[in-house]
Amino acid sequence: MKKKLLLYSCLLAVAAIIITAVLINITVYRDFSDSMRESVRLDAVNISQAYGSYGEDYLETVEGDSSTYRVTLISEQGEVLFDTAADAESLANHADRPEVIAALADGAGESTRYSETLSRETYYYALAQADGTILRVAMTIDSVYASLLAMLPLMLLIVVAVFILSLLLASWQSRRIIRPINELDLDHPADNDIYPELAPLLGRLQKQNEQISAQMARLRQAQNEFAEITNHMREGFLIIDDKEEVLSYNKSALSLLDIAEIGETPQHILALNRSEELRGTLERVLAGESAECLLNIAQRKVRLLANPVVDQGQVKGAVLLLRDTTEQEEREKLRREFTANVSHELKTPLTSISGYAEIIANGLARPEDVPRFAGSIYDEVQRLISLINDIIKLSRLDEEEGLPQRQQVDLAGLAETVCERLEPEAARRRIMLERQIAPCSVSGIEQVLEEMVYNLVDNAIKYNRPEGQVRVALERQGAEAVLSVSDSGIGIPESEQERIFERFYRVDKSHSDNIPGTGLGLSIVKHGAMIHHAKISVASQVDKGTTVEVRFPL
Amino acid sequence: MRSRFDEELNDLNNELILMGALCEDAISHAVTALMEDDEEMRAKVFSVDSRIDAKEHDIEARCLRLLLRQQPVARDLRQISSAMRMISDMERIGDQAGDIAEISRYLRGSALKKEVPLQQMAAVVIKMVSDSVDSFVHHDLQLAQQVLADDDQADQLFLDIKRGLVEKIAGSSGCGESALDLLMISKYLERIGVHATNISEWVYYAVTGEYKGEEL
Repeated sequence: MKKKLLLYSCLLAVAAIIITAVLINITVYRDFSDSMRESVRLDAVNISQAYGSYGEDYLETVEGDSSTYRVTLISEQGEVLFDTAADAESLANHADRPEVIAALADGAGESTRYSETLSRETYYYALAQADGTILRVAMTIDSVYASLLAMLPLMLLIVVAVFILSLLLASWQSRRIIRPINELDLDHPADNDIYPELAPLLGRLQKQNEQISAQMARLRQAQNEFAEITNHMREGFLIIDDKEEVLSYNKSALSLLDIAEIGETPQHILALNRSEELRGTLERVLAGESAECLLNIAQRKVRLLANPVVDQGQVKGAVLLLRDTTEQEEREKLRREFTANVSHELKTPLTSISGYAEIIANGLARPEDVPRFAGSIYDEVQRLISLINDIIKLSRLDEEEGLPQRQQVDLAGLAETVCERLEPEAARRRIMLERQIAPCSVSGIEQVLEEMVYNLVDNAIKYNRPEGQVRVALERQGAEAVLSVSDSGIGIPESEQERIFERFYRVDKSHSDNIPGTGLGLSIVKHGAMIHHAKISVASQVDKGTTVEVRFPL
Repeated sequence: MRSRFDEELNDLNNELILMGALCEDAISHAVTALMEDDEEMRAKVFSVDSRIDAKEHDIEARCLRLLLRQQPVARDLRQISSAMRMISDMERIGDQAGDIAEISRYLRGSALKKEVPLQQMAAVVIKMVSDSVDSFVHHDLQLAQQVLADDDQADQLFLDIKRGLVEKIAGSSGCGESALDLLMISKYLERIGVHATNISEWVYYAVTGEYKGEEL
């Protein structure tokens, strides 16, 4: 814009200078030629008067001055009597010259024409004399041009000076015009006090600015809402583009991928995780199909679901969903083990039952052995029944449905009853059952609590050495009721202590018949404790004894 | 707005991460193939190795193009030149994983491999490779230093394995061939450890401009 302004100003100046110069020239020329004619006429009159007084001799003196004027004396017949510029005899008759004709008629005459004698454009002035001759004074017009030419260098100098001046002025002016435009505050277009011609433009700008900021605010709000929602998701959430760069993510995604911090700039997904599984999944999802895989990240199992984002038949990116499935996988594993264990535990007694029954049915058993076999069958069936009972109890605890309502249960009384029930068994094994039970009641389900206490005391008796001790204690400690069952039995190795609550887990792997049991007792205790929000802790030393402590919140 | 150059540097970075990940795959597959006589894994090692080789060419061409066209200076130049060094170390890791897979063919069913701390050494070396790539990804100098420290552990394990194998050879006849194969494998593992160390040193250089404690 500045350049254009400057260019136009310059063109304007040049045009003005040229036109001015031409006009001045024309005026000056006309002025010059007028004054030249005037001076020729004056000189003619002067010469004519002098000629009248001194005759032809005067003309001789004028001849020396022939550079300025040409003076000619012509007879009435047009014969040239005298000429300052040429030999009079060589000149032709001048009677046909317009100024001569006019002078003969009116006494004076003038004309501007090409002179054959001087070969130049010439001005003539003729005056009739008293003696009948005609005196003619001529001057070439060239002399006007010469005067003009003499002025030319000065004029050129003026032109150049004016041109430079106008150039400076034009540049100063264009700068002055442009400056306020450059200094416009475009963030607040309405606050500018500038050319009224720009007001509509600025008004429009202001309006658009407002629209843009409103739109930005809306977008930001939507983004914040989105971030707020995704950040509260337990699932990890990631959006990547077709170059696998992370466009958006939530907090859970970072924690599931075990990443502490991610910079502001977009990062490649491989910088977050580069496992083979993820790479394979990304390859498939960016080829346009949904995919999923299981990632092992820092001892956790994370399931990744990936869906392509397809726009007009082209994959533009993918949405990745991460879910921590560690517990789920763990539970799945436990369930598989449980099923295998249940089948095994059910099959063992059934195999013996079937064996004994087959022997009896085939008549292979001697009659006196039949009662013994029947006794064995009875024992195995009893074992089966108690196993199935335990499984039913456990599954009921698992479901947590169909359980009776909670109520205030006298835990002390319940513990006493259990101890009394187990007293004969303890006595049979010559084990001292010691009780130290303080009155205490908790809110809970009586059957479940009884089952828990029974299993704990039963275990303490079963896994004891002959003539050992079992101590059942119940007391209040602050806001907790603490039930502890200690024995002086075989103890549990430290490496196994974590696993004793698993179903069918038995420290004694042989599933031997030495100690009858289903392997479900402590599982029932654990589930019962979970239902009552109680905490279980185990302290045990091999061959010294075990203490199981259950802390019920009051 | 990121300039085209920044974008290309970023792409280079991503390609390096991918190549590092391939190296991790190669070595862990090779170790699985060895310890569990897994034929499928063995085949995978070779295919991963050829992918690593292709990546090396690709990244090298990228680096040269960046150097010639952009004439980078300072940190950018360090990033590119260290990338060129890293890829040759990574390529070696891939080759050595391939060698391990190759030799492991002759050790099928050998009980000897479980009698020396080979699994332990493999675990250390895999961790070193993983950590060196991680240190590159996160520009984690502490992790890079950790790799250098772990190399001593790998060296010590190599010596332990060597001593164990010498005892086996001296003790009984007939296990000599397997013992030598195992010795080679543990040497390859040791070399992979050294390459991981080199990668960490180049990461250190790319970030700080210092290589092995000296300004380059």
